[in-house]
Amino acid sequence: MDLQLLISGISLGAVYALVAVGYAVVFSVLKFSNFAHGGMISACAYMGYYFQRAFPAPPPFYVTLLFSAFAGVALSFLIDTIAYRRLRKQQSPAIYYFLASIAISILIVNLLSIFFGKNLYAFPPIFTSTTFYIGSIRFSSIDTLILFVSLAILTFLILLINRTRIGLAIRSVAINSQTSRLMGVNPDVTIMTVFAIAGALAGISGVLLAMKLSVYPTLGSQMMLKGFVASVVGGLGSLGGAIIAAIFLGVIEIYITYYLGSLSTPIVTFGLMLIFLAVRPVGVAGKFAQEKV
Amino acid sequence: MSHILEIRNLKINYGVHEAVHGLDMDIAEGKITAIIGSNGAGKTTIINAISGIVKREGTVIYRGRPLTQKAHRVVREGVVQVPEGRRVFAGLSVEENLRLGAYTVRDKKQIQKLLEQQYELFPRLEERKRQDAGTLSGGEQQMLAISRGLMSHPRVLMLDEPSLGLAPVIVEDVFNHIKRICEDGVTIILVEQNAKKTLSICDYGYVIENGRKVMEGNGSDLLENEEVQYAYLGVDRQEDPQDP
Repeated sequence: MDLQLLISGISLGAVYALVAVGYAVVFSVLKFSNFAHGGMISACAYMGYYFQRAFPAPPPFYVTLLFSAFAGVALSFLIDTIAYRRLRKQQSPAIYYFLASIAISILIVNLLSIFFGKNLYAFPPIFTSTTFYIGSIRFSSIDTLILFVSLAILTFLILLINRTRIGLAIRSVAINSQTSRLMGVNPDVTIMTVFAIAGALAGISGVLLAMKLSVYPTLGSQMMLKGFVASVVGGLGSLGGAIIAAIFLGVIEIYITYYLGSLSTPIVTFGLMLIFLAVRPVGVAGKFAQEKV
Repeated sequence: MSHILEIRNLKINYGVHEAVHGLDMDIAEGKITAIIGSNGAGKTTIINAISGIVKREGTVIYRGRPLTQKAHRVVREGVVQVPEGRRVFAGLSVEENLRLGAYTVRDKKQIQKLLEQQYELFPRLEERKRQDAGTLSGGEQQMLAISRGLMSHPRVLMLDEPSLGLAPVIVEDVFNHIKRICEDGVTIILVEQNAKKTLSICDYGYVIENGRKVMEGNGSDLLENEEVQYAYLGVDRQEDPQDP
């Protein structure tokens, strides 16, 4: 019983980590809170849902995931073109980006509500059986799949950021963008890369969340909040910190839901965030980025 | 003598305020050219404009062709700046800082070779290659910043106040290294407030005041010039020039 809860919690937390990292990677380079990320997750969940249903025989799961990831990248570039590019050209203050991102997020949620209504759509089942056994322990098929997919993607991302040339460029821009230009780093390319990463993550987490929770317009913004909590607790702009915090958040939520009921989870999670920030305002990773939110 | 950089009528504006007003400069290939002047004279602005970090008007001819204004492409062309205050990337290791310096180099073998060259030049950096660059001492950070600049195999290296905040012994070290780098065939532009030391190692020097060139000449000539001695070397006019 406890092991199942733990796996379910880690699996939920791993998806939160995907959301948190998608948010944190944009924050680290562009220094603003990209709340449009929530909207992108919702939009990608719908796109994945309709893609999955568009064929007489449903395509394999990884095809849908890949489609949604690419759709997320395209959407991310579109949002950048509409909302952020001109702000960047005029070197606008961070608050402009913040407002633009909230506007985009609200816009997407409402467009989705207009076209698809506020109903919940159940994602077509991937597995014939919802659970499987290893020995005498029962596992949820969906939770296990989500866990492995999320961990694989997080590992890939950590390697990308820490071991590649473009990852090094992203980290250098995050530390000091002007000095990175003196190294020959093209800031436009770096920013596009970051938006591509965020978009792909929104696409993947959108489909995974849809499978777990079903599809509805505010799916992404609700999850964005969790991702936001995780990346604030993790230390804004720190990927490792955000991942650790997100997984803890998922586990805590599952246990609280099980023992106290789902109504008390937001109270406890946000309460914990406030206490944590009062005790350790720099977050898990201990780096404090100025000019927050 | 050929000029690797020819700067004509360079003007730089910060908003409505003009910081540099029509400057002409020639940078001789393979030599050390100094730009000296007091704080706020516009020295840093000049090399930032060459680097493409601030917008400029006028022409900058590099190896016979106009130099691009895009900062990342200036580096690719071989004109590299070592910024004031070192500005190493704290949070990245020493080796990652060096690799970032070689960002424009695609060939992995070439990068490895460049790394080994830097470690040979500054063995201290090899000892600390896994260490966070932010934990190095001021002198070590300056060495790292210079090495990082060399990692892209530049033709022109522009150093902004490399002696700033360093102990005199270390300053001596840094200037010796700069001379050595020049002997290896890299053209040096040296921006400094430490006029005495700078003029003693440079081949040619420009004196900048309030965004204008007020004097130019060979390093040794400037060093003996009474105006320069009075304004930058702390020599009193009344004193006997033979006994500074």
